[in-house]
Amino acid sequence: MKNKNLLTIVIAFVLVVIFALLLFSFQVRQSEVVVKSTFLKPTDTITSPGLYFKWPWPIQSINRFDQRVQNFEDKFSQNLTHDSTMLQMSVYVGWRISDAKAFFPRFPSGSTLAAQTLLEQMLRSVKAAVIGKHNLSDFVNSDPSELKFNDIEKEIQAGVAAELSTNNYGMSLEFLGIKKMGLPTDVTQAVFERMKAERTKLISEAQFNGEAEAAKIKSSAERQAADTLANASATATRIEGEGVAEAAKTLAVFQQNPELAVFLARLEAIKSSANKNTTLILDERTAPFDLFRSLPANVGPNLLK
Amino acid sequence: MQRSTQKNGLVNLAVALLIFIACQGVSAFGGSLAAQAAAAFLLLGVIVAFVSWFQMRLEENERAEKLELDELATSRGTSLFDAKDAGSFPAKNAREQFEKYFVPGFAILLLIVEAGGGWLLWHLGGKTPTNTLRPGNATAALSLLAIFSLLLFLFGRFSVTIARLENNRLLRPGASFLLAGAYVCALAALAIAGVEAKFPTADFWMARILCILLGLLAVETLLTLLLEIYRPRIKGKVARPLYESRIAGILAQPESLFTTAAQTLDYQFGFKVSETWFFQAVQKNLLVLLLIQFAVLLLSTTVVFIDAGEQAVLERSGKPHGILEPGPHFKLPWPTDKVYRYRTDQIQSFAVGYTPDAQSEAATTVMWTVPHANEENFLVGNHLADDSANAGTNDAANFKPVGLITVSIPVQFQITNIADWVYKNGQPEDLLHSLATREVTRFLAGSDLNEILTHGRLEAAAALREAIQSSANERNLGAKIVYVGLQDIHPPTDKDVAATYEKVIGAQQARLAAVLNAEAAAIRTNALAGAAAFTMTNVADADRITMVTAKYAQAALFTNQLPAFRAAPSVYRQRLYLQAFNDATKDAKKYVLLVTNTQDVVIFDLEEKVRADLQSLNITN
Repeated sequence: MKNKNLLTIVIAFVLVVIFALLLFSFQVRQSEVVVKSTFLKPTDTITSPGLYFKWPWPIQSINRFDQRVQNFEDKFSQNLTHDSTMLQMSVYVGWRISDAKAFFPRFPSGSTLAAQTLLEQMLRSVKAAVIGKHNLSDFVNSDPSELKFNDIEKEIQAGVAAELSTNNYGMSLEFLGIKKMGLPTDVTQAVFERMKAERTKLISEAQFNGEAEAAKIKSSAERQAADTLANASATATRIEGEGVAEAAKTLAVFQQNPELAVFLARLEAIKSSANKNTTLILDERTAPFDLFRSLPANVGPNLLK
Repeated sequence: MQRSTQKNGLVNLAVALLIFIACQGVSAFGGSLAAQAAAAFLLLGVIVAFVSWFQMRLEENERAEKLELDELATSRGTSLFDAKDAGSFPAKNAREQFEKYFVPGFAILLLIVEAGGGWLLWHLGGKTPTNTLRPGNATAALSLLAIFSLLLFLFGRFSVTIARLENNRLLRPGASFLLAGAYVCALAALAIAGVEAKFPTADFWMARILCILLGLLAVETLLTLLLEIYRPRIKGKVARPLYESRIAGILAQPESLFTTAAQTLDYQFGFKVSETWFFQAVQKNLLVLLLIQFAVLLLSTTVVFIDAGEQAVLERSGKPHGILEPGPHFKLPWPTDKVYRYRTDQIQSFAVGYTPDAQSEAATTVMWTVPHANEENFLVGNHLADDSANAGTNDAANFKPVGLITVSIPVQFQITNIADWVYKNGQPEDLLHSLATREVTRFLAGSDLNEILTHGRLEAAAALREAIQSSANERNLGAKIVYVGLQDIHPPTDKDVAATYEKVIGAQQARLAAVLNAEAAAIRTNALAGAAAFTMTNVADADRITMVTAKYAQAALFTNQLPAFRAAPSVYRQRLYLQAFNDATKDAKKYVLLVTNTQDVVIFDLEEKVRADLQSLNITN
């Protein structure tokens, strides 16, 4: 019984120690900053990590904040550029709590979400103003030297930083960058159509250039073929002439007796011109049928049988 | 003694009421769902404490009435009870009426609170686990709930002991609810501690458990009400209060569970298991065992094993105390030393643009024309459109047509400096994603659509990797960019834009085919022409040779004929003629007119006859 009571006392003691530690102490992490409030009034800011003590609630209470750089992305919002083009853009922002004591009372329970909401409102306003000062070609340009990306980011960051410093929000803007850009749906569809038209132009170019090139190749080939054939024809004619010249050398032989030569040539012509389809109508005066005239009347026809 | 019990009942009621109100306030202050459920549980305690206290008062009045009547009867020597007049015992009647009508009524009220409260809190929590705690107030809420738990434990334990010692059935239900309320508040505090220890849904799930507990209590109350109808009423036997919960009793006094378990085991095994040394030792030393378990649990937090590929930051009371490499390490127990692990050796990755869906990941062929996911389009410069749009104008500086391109760029990275990764930025992975997306957006905005789709990819990947690395270094992320891939960049699939790119390739192929066909035709034409030319010259040459040879032969023949002709000119001439006539007209048709009458008209039919095979030719359509 005595042991049981001792055990109960030990357990009670341990519980009391745990509760006391919970009530009287707190830890601060390297990544945190803590605002200690006494009777709900912020009295101390702790930025160094370690174990700290406080009076229990409601005398003292603590509020923890992340002192690292927080980042968030604003809405993908639509704005008009200087050359009246609709541009959608979202930016990301890195910010940190620079003065926790100032930050804490500005937002409900020191909510970072509320702080980001405020920051986003400022951001949208400044972003719209900066976009309105630039042409679309400053944002998108196939020539990188004409791009003003960095300048635009700096302008937006400077604008928001100026807003933040006007009222001490206990926040500082560490960096800002353009995360995404786009075009409204209707404009996007129009860009798609234009991109297709570009491709259609290239298709036509390829198709008709191909046809033209093919026609050129064919006509060149035909011209070359004609040239070849003409040359061949000329060569053939020349060869024929050479043959004629060569053959003409024999004419001297025939000149010994032109009468016989001509007679032979005529005979040769008869041989060449007559064939099996030739029909000759001859009378009795044509040799050798002239024989029929010199014979008696009843002999001639019998010779033909 | 009875009066002090009634006071105990009143104290229980007051404590339950005050702590219920305070707990309700704490749940609103801290935004804790578990504290809200604990408050609902405490409301049950308030109702039960009130009814039991009221019933105690009625029983006390009844006892006083009976004493007065007994004293009166002793002084007069008669017994008033013999009269059997109901109107003579108002306190007794009041107690009986209360037990008959009001107690069941309160039990029904209890049932409504249990069932309705459980249902309401279940739906209040929503369907998805969320952390509703207010960051600044959570610690205070935890402390307050711990204090409530302690107070309820002290009062509840005292009342339970009194009820057991005095065997007071009416004090027991309220006391059980107070003690059970202490545990419920401790659980709610534990849930908030869980949230603080980076288990953000601990509060939500604890609220769910308490909702189930309320539901169980509702079922128990309903069963008790139903069984009460059929319970045999034996005169003189004291009934168990309808509002007393056995579940709350077990929760309040877990040791009673041992008794129940022991009875069950005894019945099951047929001998007194509960009297064995083991069972008794466990029962007697349960607190010591729990304490040892707690100590072991605490000791287990002094050893930490870091997995291969991991590094961990060790914090002592919040201060960075070192980087732990893979392997076992000793440390001070939680919460003094805490360890935060990170995968430093492992290559991690994310995608800029869209993340390909599972279906396209599994596909073996990746096509431009098939959407891979909900694709994102990026703005890109367009030199080709720029030239066309500004052709013949002087407005090139203002009008810059843009293109759209669908992008999914895998970025692989490795944590190289864990301290920078943990302490410099709140959401380092998100920041790295934003930085990478910014570099991609900027790069594409300053690039040419056609270049990036063709030969510019390799250079672009290297340039992007360098740009992202530079941005990450500037922001002290402590990460190394291992790889940036530009393999999945293509024109949008919407409106068949990507398909028209394919058609261009098709047209270029068709153009090439037309050129090749023409070249083939040219080769044929030239080859045939060459052959024809060759034939032509050869034929001419052959003709020349033939002609010359023939002429020389004729000349030779002539030379030989000439003596014959000179010898007999007419004869030779006639012979030659007849020989030639014979040769030439051998196959020719010959008509010889031998008539002398030249005035006659001779008609010859010289028409060619149609060939016989042509006459038998069949002509079909």
